[in-house]
Amino acid sequence: MTEIISNKLNPYVYPNLDIWHYEIPLYLFLGGLAGGLLILSSGMILFKKESIENKAVRWATLLSPVILSIGMLFLLLDLEFKIHFWRFYTAFIFTSPMSWGAWMLLIFYPFSVMQALIVFKDYINFYPFILKTIKITEPHLQKIAVVNVHIGTGIGVYTGVLLSTFYARPLWNSSVLGFLFLLSGISTAAAVMLIICNSGDKRTFLKVDMYLISLEGFAATLFIIGGVTSAGAFHDAMVYLISGTYAAWFWVLFILCGLIIPLLLETLEVLNKVRYSPLVPLLVIIGSLSLRFIIVNAGQSFSTFY
Amino acid sequence: MARKKKYAMFIDTLKCVGCSACVYACKSENQVPEGFCRDWVVQKTEGTFPHLSQLIRSERCQHCENAPCVTNCPTGASYYPGDGTVQVDRNLCTGCKACIAACPYDARYIHPVGFADKCTFCQHRLKEGLQPACVTACPTETLKLVDLMENSSTIEDLVNGRQIVKDKVHAGTKPKLFWLV
Amino acid sequence: MGVINRRDFLTISSAFLAGSTVLGGGFVLSPYRQGEVTSLKSDKVVKTTCELCFWRCGIDAHVKDGKVFKIAGQKDHPLSNGKLCPRGLGGHGLLYDPDRLKHPLIRKNVNGKSSFHKATWDEATTLIASRLSEITEEHGPESVAMFSHGFGASFFKTLLSAYGIDTFTAPSYGQCRGPRTEAFKLTFGHGVGSPEGLDIANSKYLVLIGSHLGENMHNTQVQEFSQAIAKGCRIVAVDPRFSTAAGKAETWLPIKAGTDIALLRSWIHILIEEKLYDEDFIAENAIGLSELKKSVRDATPEKTFAITGIPVEMIVKVARDLGRYQNQALVHPGRHVTWYGDDTQRERAIAILNALLGNYRAKGGLLSQKTYPIPKYDFPKPKKSSRKFKSVYPFAGSIPSNEIVDRTLADSPESFKAWFIYGTNLIHTLGDQKSTIEALRKLKFVVAVDVLPMEITGYADVVLPECTYLERFDDLDARAYKKPYLAIRQPAVKPLFDSKPGFEIARMLSKKMGLPDLFPDKIETYLESRLKKIGHSLVELQEKGVFVNQDSGLYRSQNEKMRFDTPSGKIELVSNKLREKGFDPVPKYTQHPENPPGFFRLLFGRAPMHTFGRTANNRILGELMPENELWVNAVAGQDMKLKNGEYLYLVNQDNIKSKTPIRVRLTQRIRPDVVFMVHGFGHTDPRLKTARNRGASDADLISHLDVDPIMGGTGMNNNFVTFTREA
Ligand SMILES: Nc1nc2c(c(=O)[nH]1)N[C@H]1C(S)=C(S)[C@@H](COP(=O)(O)OP(=O)(O)OC[C@H]3O[C@@H](n4cnc5c(=O)[nH]c(N)nc54)[C@H](O)[C@@H]3O)O[C@H]1N2
Ligand SMILES: Nc1nc2c(c(=O)[nH]1)N[C@H]1C(S)=C(S)[C@@H](COP(=O)(O)OP(=O)(O)OC[C@H]3O[C@@H](n4cnc5c(=O)[nH]c(N)nc54)[C@H](O)[C@@H]3O)O[C@H]1N2
Ligand code: SF4
Ligand code: SF4
Ligand code: SF4
Ligand code: SF4
Ligand code: SF4
Ligand SMILES: [Mo]
Repeated sequence: MTEIISNKLNPYVYPNLDIWHYEIPLYLFLGGLAGGLLILSSGMILFKKESIENKAVRWATLLSPVILSIGMLFLLLDLEFKIHFWRFYTAFIFTSPMSWGAWMLLIFYPFSVMQALIVFKDYINFYPFILKTIKITEPHLQKIAVVNVHIGTGIGVYTGVLLSTFYARPLWNSSVLGFLFLLSGISTAAAVMLIICNSGDKRTFLKVDMYLISLEGFAATLFIIGGVTSAGAFHDAMVYLISGTYAAWFWVLFILCGLIIPLLLETLEVLNKVRYSPLVPLLVIIGSLSLRFIIVNAGQSFSTFY
Repeated sequence: MARKKKYAMFIDTLKCVGCSACVYACKSENQVPEGFCRDWVVQKTEGTFPHLSQLIRSERCQHCENAPCVTNCPTGASYYPGDGTVQVDRNLCTGCKACIAACPYDARYIHPVGFADKCTFCQHRLKEGLQPACVTACPTETLKLVDLMENSSTIEDLVNGRQIVKDKVHAGTKPKLFWLV
Repeated sequence: MGVINRRDFLTISSAFLAGSTVLGGGFVLSPYRQGEVTSLKSDKVVKTTCELCFWRCGIDAHVKDGKVFKIAGQKDHPLSNGKLCPRGLGGHGLLYDPDRLKHPLIRKNVNGKSSFHKATWDEATTLIASRLSEITEEHGPESVAMFSHGFGASFFKTLLSAYGIDTFTAPSYGQCRGPRTEAFKLTFGHGVGSPEGLDIANSKYLVLIGSHLGENMHNTQVQEFSQAIAKGCRIVAVDPRFSTAAGKAETWLPIKAGTDIALLRSWIHILIEEKLYDEDFIAENAIGLSELKKSVRDATPEKTFAITGIPVEMIVKVARDLGRYQNQALVHPGRHVTWYGDDTQRERAIAILNALLGNYRAKGGLLSQKTYPIPKYDFPKPKKSSRKFKSVYPFAGSIPSNEIVDRTLADSPESFKAWFIYGTNLIHTLGDQKSTIEALRKLKFVVAVDVLPMEITGYADVVLPECTYLERFDDLDARAYKKPYLAIRQPAVKPLFDSKPGFEIARMLSKKMGLPDLFPDKIETYLESRLKKIGHSLVELQEKGVFVNQDSGLYRSQNEKMRFDTPSGKIELVSNKLREKGFDPVPKYTQHPENPPGFFRLLFGRAPMHTFGRTANNRILGELMPENELWVNAVAGQDMKLKNGEYLYLVNQDNIKSKTPIRVRLTQRIRPDVVFMVHGFGHTDPRLKTARNRGASDADLISHLDVDPIMGGTGMNNNFVTFTREA
């Protein structure tokens, strides 16, 4: 028997760490989604230039920077000393993913916004400077799209890496996490596009999403197996995730509602066994949102207390 | 140039009675707000009645040589001033809490004003040639702050052949609180 | 079985207080200076004396902008040596307690309802003087008793004795150290003293019987304890509970509560039988060995095991170790020793054991201490009272407080009519609350001098708010100690509110009570005049804080002839004085009541960051321990379906229920037949806003007292409790 008594007072630190609340999971979710939207839209533009006429692609290009901005708002909300926000840009700390993230945004915005401007150039006839810029950059759309695929991937991976560098939180400290969050972000983006797109495109986006969900399921499995088979705190942390306080949420909300059911329904939809329902992409979005919440919460409430 | 320093703390668990004088001393010295602390006491009892053993440890920031709070701080607010301690520059801190997530020892908290705070080894007292407040107050002389760069005989005397335990060495942080058990 | 989350094992001892981010009155928020970590710089440091307990360490009060923001140990003071216990460090929590008594209060009865009214000092002191004069005229000055505990009482005692009142009592006798004092006086001719004359630092083998050093946080004693540990002292802790001290011990003997005398007798028996005692020392300095030997003959380890539950081999081992270390070994006499009503005898057994070890004035043993020489102030001679209080207890060297209660309740012409209470919370202190309250109700007049609206003040007719120790001068402290010293208490800040220093209150009263010339105008005059007599000045002491003399002759020299202040001039292993009064000349073991089925013996003690109830409202100290917990053996608790951390009410053998619930701590650290809680919680006075309804009060449940027939101390450990979930 072990009895431990501690008089550490600090709220949010003891008895278990509780430093990040709803803001960070939301930020990670929105960041992942924005990255995903950018990847998919740019990818499709690369794949087929005419995609810029596609409704879903057009919206995705526009939504990506907007959603990221909302995400940033939540990041700002989380800062305890908001007026020092600009301090992110007085240093570049090579070892800090958060610093990487902050600087990455500086690249994200010009390129993603540029792409959106080109896509929506017909609506922009009021600001000569912008028009001029569009004119100059438009011929390079494909190149911009290439850069954007990478930036999108970077942002998507970053949302996971931000957590996975914390050795102190064994649940997070998994190299699969970046990959998992990236895939989850793209699949969410696909789900969003599935909702937006014209009925003619539904099949395409269904297939894309099915593929992404499968990959995400694969990544999730790797994440779990990786955790369970490792030693000490890492093992315990994973076991805590899959059988502890957050287990029900993890299995029901994320695995079942976010992966299995949508994959099943989408398959049936593609096979024309059931009719398309916007409920399916909604489930994907809910699953992906809950993944961030579950991982952030479970990860910080399980520390290395030994 | 001043000689390089490398501060560390030796904590004699046999002497510590877990009274928490070190906590109160720190709180007054450093004006730690109500509801927060920079140091704390952990009392661990093992066994079943009547075969019991007990370990009491006064804990605080480890002033890691390889501090994840520093590597994860996006602004450089957490830094090594070069005397073997780890400090927080309040002026640079955004309150992003990455350092809190990164610290394997849960040594930090967010000060109500909005910056990350933790034990400083009472840097301001060291500069004046004083020992940290907790060290000075402790009625059992459990705590000793030493400069590892100084002649090692004081340290040898301190250790006196006893076993030194460090916390969570697997975290690779090279902690600098040394518990004598 | 499910996965074990390691955090499940954690017992969070102190929950974060709801809403406690409000800064305590004592905090000065650190200036948020950009960039650098700042700390407050004091404008001045005042060297004074702590009063968060009765040990009286020297402290440095750091003041900035007229506020005490930090308290540290005074370097040169022999009781602190620059270090402090947690309570002393949090003293400014008392100074800035928003619930402090702020102005005098007078009880008024309007339409049958009594309530307190704010009064001026003049009104309050006039009323006290006139009521005391009425009562002493009618019943004599012998009908007034003064209760006190603490250093500040001295001027009130001067005042009352000048008035002819000389019944002074303190709970530190009958509820605390009394039995120890009398037992050691009977054996060695003098008491152990406070601070104790024990050379713990140099002891090589230390037996602690229920003295839970480390939780009992008397600064210097704990310092010495740790020095002993550092030097490799072997420690034996005899305690039904795995105390902090037990955690430091090589041997923990989880004795069955109330059987200590049996164990001590057995050790005496073995020491004598195996000739392990210091034969030369005893031959030269003690009388009664052969009778002692005879009378402990039956205390065999086997019989003792049956009584105490301590295995035979452990009993023998410790006895032999004691014998091996002899005068380097010490059996700690404890301090709060009023446990079972046979406490003088238990303390006698401890005294005898130490005598046999020959550790008297030996390095690591019992010491006799000296005071710093300073003459008294020339107060006018006190009036002689015609009828001095005479205790019914033959060896009561001081007046047991409980006897004053008894005499107040008794319907005799000698019963007390008025109490003057200084700095003691009798409601939580005396046990048998019912009698205390009945007595208070019966009295014609009650005055309480206090700093906080503690329970006792609720029973007073006049409440006088003294300022705290950080705001006043007091008498000089020159108690006997290993290093004789003379220390000062002086104000760090001016009195807050309409509170006043004890000296000034006593002086105001003296004018009203017809003794206008009793005190000098200012306390400084008094202090200066005393210091002048030894060639010092007040300024000098104010600056230094303390004068210290080096110890001389602490240890006995070889072949030193010693004389003890006993009838025989020797250490009395057998006490004829006790025999003459019909008591056992050698301690005998008698059995104490067992816990009824379903009940647990209620034990209590200290926590390092609290002093009785006086710190329960201290927001700094309370932060780490806002309430007490009930320790229950994990197995016994599970048998009774108790859950760790749940709040329960306690009901005692007399069907008295605790007023507040207490959180259960299921632990391996205690015997299954007892429960333990820290004394000083469970306050219910609504004026104590922080302390109110936190934890439970052991005092509420101590309705049964076993009074020591030798000296009148009140044993409180024969009370038993069970649990209920009903409010
Ligand atoms: N922090 C702090 N320190 C204090 C005080 C304080 O209020 N706070 N008060 C001071 C004062 S005035 C005093 S008198 C001392 C009191 O302190 P001590 O003299 O050390 O002890 P007690 O309070 O009598 O003892 C409590 C211990 O005795 C054990 N015990 C109970 N019954 C028995 C028994 O039958 N046999 C044995 N062997 N052990 C038993 C309990 O489990 C507990 O550990 O503390 C002083 N120090
Ligand atoms: N149930 C139970 N009863 C016990 C004990 C126990 O453990 N359990 N312990 C016993 C022991 S060992 C002792 S020594 C006694 C102690 O008993 P008390 O001396 O009654 O101790 P406290 O409860 O601290 O009460 C002290 C009172 O003094 C007030 N006070 C504090 N500072 C000052 C000041 O500067 N000036 C004035 N005027 N008042 C001040 C406080 O507000 C409080 O009302 O209790 C004994 N009674
Ligand atoms: S002050 Fe000293 S003895 Fe008390 S808990 Fe801290 S380190 Fe331990
Ligand atoms: S203990 Fe934590 S806060 Fe302190 S240096 Fe190490 S990682 Fe940083
Ligand atoms: S909270 Fe402050 S010190 Fe900590 S990582 Fe963020 S900026 Fe750095
Ligand atoms: S070294 Fe200073 S800051 Fe650190 S715990 Fe001790 S008193 Fe607090
Ligand atoms: S032992 Fe603690 S509370 Fe008592 S006088 Fe000393 S510092 Fe003050
Ligand atoms: Mo006491």
